[in-house]
Amino acid sequence: MRFIDHVIHLLIPRQSNNHRAKIIQADSLLIIASLLIAFNFVLNYIPKVRPGVLGYAASISKDEIVNLTNAKRVETGLSPLIFNETLSSAAFSKARDMIDRDYWAHTGPDGTTPWSFFSRFGYKYRYAGENLARDFSSAGAVVDAWMNSPTHRDNILNPKYKEIGVGITEGDLAGVDSTIVVQFFGTTYADKVTESVAQVPGTQVTAKINPRPSLKPSPSPSFSPVPVEVGIAPEVQAVVSSPVSGNQKVLISPFTTTRTVSITVLAMLILVYMLDAYLVSKRKITRIAGRTFAHVTFLLMILMIVLIIKSGSIL
Amino acid sequence: MLEGIKKHFHHYFSLIAIMGVGVTGFYLYRYDQFFQIGVITSLALSYISWGIIHHTIHKDISLSVILEYVAVSILGSIMIYILLFNSHL
Repeated sequence: MRFIDHVIHLLIPRQSNNHRAKIIQADSLLIIASLLIAFNFVLNYIPKVRPGVLGYAASISKDEIVNLTNAKRVETGLSPLIFNETLSSAAFSKARDMIDRDYWAHTGPDGTTPWSFFSRFGYKYRYAGENLARDFSSAGAVVDAWMNSPTHRDNILNPKYKEIGVGITEGDLAGVDSTIVVQFFGTTYADKVTESVAQVPGTQVTAKINPRPSLKPSPSPSFSPVPVEVGIAPEVQAVVSSPVSGNQKVLISPFTTTRTVSITVLAMLILVYMLDAYLVSKRKITRIAGRTFAHVTFLLMILMIVLIIKSGSIL
Repeated sequence: MLEGIKKHFHHYFSLIAIMGVGVTGFYLYRYDQFFQIGVITSLALSYISWGIIHHTIHKDISLSVILEYVAVSILGSIMIYILLFNSHL
C-alpha cells in the first residue's frame, strides 16, 4: 500500500505534492537528469572492467556496401564500380590495422598512409580514395552518411574510379566493440578513364588527410598518382578473409541503450504532464506553475530529436 | 488549458516556431555534431527565455516557475548531449 501511495504521489497531483505530480517538479526533473548522467558514466565505465560487453550491433556486408554505392553512382549517370578482391583485401588490412593499433584515422600513428595498403597488396593505382565508417547499424546507414558528407560523396561519385574494395571487421576500439567499414576506390594504369560524365567539382586536387581522429567528418577524397609504369596491370594478392561474421551481435549498445532510456523517460513525463493538466483542470485547482503545453511541446521536440539522432561515425 | 492557448495563441505559436526550426536544423545537419550541440543549447536557452517572458507578461513570474523551465531545459539538453556522445558522430 505504501508503495502504491508513493507512486500516486509521484504521478498524480494531490495535496501531498502541492497539486503538482512530484515527478514533474523541478527538483525531480534535476534528479532524473543527474541519474541519466550517472547511468551514462556507468555505461561508459563498463569497457574498463568488462571489455567486449559494450558494442554496436551491425549487420553490414561487403556486397551491400558495393551495391548501394553503385546504385548511387548509377542514379547520377555514372558507371558502376567493379568489385576488386585485391582492393577488398587491402581495405580489410587497413580496418584490422586500426583495430590492432587502436586508432581511428586515415593515417596511422606512425604516419602509415592508406595508399601504403594499396601498394602492399600490389594494387598499382593511378587514382585512389578511401572512405571510413564505424558503429553504424546497417549498410544503408553507412552509405547515407557518406552521401551526406560532401567529401565522401565526391569519392563515391568520382567518375575516375573504376574499381571498389570493401573491408569490414569488428574489434575493440578504445574498449568498445566496434564495427569498422573501409571503402577503397581505385583505378589502375591499365584502366582507361574515358568517362564522358561531368566531373564532380573540387575533386581534382590531391587532398590532405587529417591524421588525427575527429568527430567532424574531415576531407577524405584523394588522388595520389604514384610513379609506376603505364600499362602495368595490378597483381592480385592472396585473399584475406574476415575472421568474424558481419552479422555478429554484441551485448549492449551504448547508443541504443541510452536512446531507449531517453524515449521511455520522455514518454512517461509527457503522459504525466498531460494527466496532471487534465486533473488540475477538472478539479478547478488554481496554482502557480509553468505552462504544461509549453513543457509538453519542448519534450516532444526533444523526443523528435532523439529519434533523428543516429549512431555512427565517418572519416 | 485550451482556453489559455487560444487566448495567447501568438505566444505559443512563437514557441512552436522556435522548436520547429530547431528540429528542422537538427535534421538537416544530422551529420554535423558540433552544429547539433549548438542547436540544442540555443533551443534550451530560447525555451527558458520564452518561459520568463511569457510569465512576466502574465504577471505570474516566480523563482519556482523559472526553475521549472530551467529544469525541463537541462533534462532535455542532457538527454541529447548524452545521445550525441554515444552516437560517435
